[in-house]
Amino acid sequence: MKNEIKISAKGVQVFYADKHAIKNVDVEIKDKTVTAFIGPSGCGKSTFLRSLNRMNDTINTCRVEGEILLDGQNIYDPEVDPVQLRAKVGMVFQKPNPFPKSIYDNVAYGPRIHGLSQSKTELDEIVEMALRRGALWEEVKDRLSEPGTGLSGGQQQRLCIARAIATQPEVLLMDEPCSALDPIATAQIEELINDLKENFCVVIVTHSMQQAARVSNKTAFFHLGDLVEYGDTEELFIKPIDPRTESYISGKIG
Amino acid sequence: MAEKHIISAFDEDIEKIQSTLMKMGGLVEKSLFDAAAALVKSDIELARKVKEHDQVIDSLEEEVNIQTVRLIALRSPAATDLRYALSFIKVASNLERIGDYGKNMAKRSLVMEPSLITEQGSNSLRRMTKDVILMMNNALDAYVRKDVELAEAVIIQDKDIDLHYNALFREFLTFMMEDPKNITTCMHLHFIAKNIERVGDYVTSIAEQAIYVATGEYPSEERPKLDTTSLTKVDPKSVS
Ligand SMILES: Nc1ncnc2c1ncn2[C@@H]1O[C@H](COP(=O)(O)OP(=O)(O)OP(=O)(O)O)[C@@H](O)[C@H]1O
Ligand SMILES: [Mg+2]
Repeated sequence: MKNEIKISAKGVQVFYADKHAIKNVDVEIKDKTVTAFIGPSGCGKSTFLRSLNRMNDTINTCRVEGEILLDGQNIYDPEVDPVQLRAKVGMVFQKPNPFPKSIYDNVAYGPRIHGLSQSKTELDEIVEMALRRGALWEEVKDRLSEPGTGLSGGQQQRLCIARAIATQPEVLLMDEPCSALDPIATAQIEELINDLKENFCVVIVTHSMQQAARVSNKTAFFHLGDLVEYGDTEELFIKPIDPRTESYISGKIG
Repeated sequence: MAEKHIISAFDEDIEKIQSTLMKMGGLVEKSLFDAAAALVKSDIELARKVKEHDQVIDSLEEEVNIQTVRLIALRSPAATDLRYALSFIKVASNLERIGDYGKNMAKRSLVMEPSLITEQGSNSLRRMTKDVILMMNNALDAYVRKDVELAEAVIIQDKDIDLHYNALFREFLTFMMEDPKNITTCMHLHFIAKNIERVGDYVTSIAEQAIYVATGEYPSEERPKLDTTSLTKVDPKSVS
């Protein structure tokens, strides 16, 4: 439900060996809301985002402390299966990374491995639904068997979003999803993000302040591993509280 | 500005608009000052100058608007910068209106018949004008320096202007009731007094912009409004 807390991080610390990348972060991320993470390069946005679906597990030196509750359950509990978790908490990366497979198979991949469909027709429906939601259906419906890698960058990114949606996740994490796209493709993705928040909890990392302002309801500003300020996007961009936030969003030297 | 933008042209843009506003403020001050002097000295030449002067003020307002639109379009200001951008347009508009009242005062000074009442009233109005000019300078100072305390003091000062207006209103009313021949003169004097009282309101608005830029919030309390003349009744029996 709207305004319900979907993800609750409590005292989260992330280390890469000795490097303290995220320092004691507490944050509550709401469902059916777009939350933007902003901050200077290297402040820990991607690190924190990846800790929300345990993508960091794949990095040997990486250690996460504290609690991250998804619907009240700690995702770092030993009994939680990271593969299942990532079906629930999908991720879209900065660079579109379609599999070297057909457009259809790219989207069908997740539902297949998670056994989400009983029949070919059911799978067809899931693929169509995901491509529609990814705002790509009209452009690819007649060429579903062509390779996903043959699409334009913006189309590939929407394909990756469709692929992430196909497993019917509850949360969608996006790490700079538009950084490789032109303004039109960016606008399409932003429009899509706006639609997605009807059904999902969306978290987006972006370097574009304007993008954060345009798409998000909530914004979190990170600086040197600290969560400095978190609040309504409007408030944060018109009237930030912390001088570090003010400096960053107005492009000043601190 | 203690902190500088990484893109230094951004600072230059903001400073340029601020200096245009200060230039406007200077001209508006001169306009009020000269209009009041023209009134007291029945100086037709000075009054004409005030009227010409007003066109310069109008064109400066336009300049502020153009520069601000450019700032918004090219620099996407955020936080304090954004609040400044919004306030530039408002403050310029406030100053332009104040300038209009100066012009109006000058215009009226041209048609006033010399009389004892004209002389007395003009001197009172000049004192009131001086007070409001002082207030305006403080408001502009508070605005540029983001000085909340000074801005709040200006808002409080506006009470005195209101009280001064109330007193003049009663005085002019009395003169009119004493002798209908005074009506034309007193009507003009009264309009000028009312206009200066309005100038106080525009100055207050500038002080409020100063507070908005500095804090992100408009002053919460109701503005003290001491102009009670709308509740004043005329009782002919009270004068005779
Ligand atoms: N795999 C890793 N091994 C060691 N250190 C890492 C690793 N990944 C990130 N870091 C370090 O952790 C800090 C946070 O990095 P992170 O990638 O989260 O930053 P970011 O905010 O996403 O930056 P950007 O905006 O440049 O993507 C940085 O100092 C970075 O050097
Ligand atoms: Mg990153």
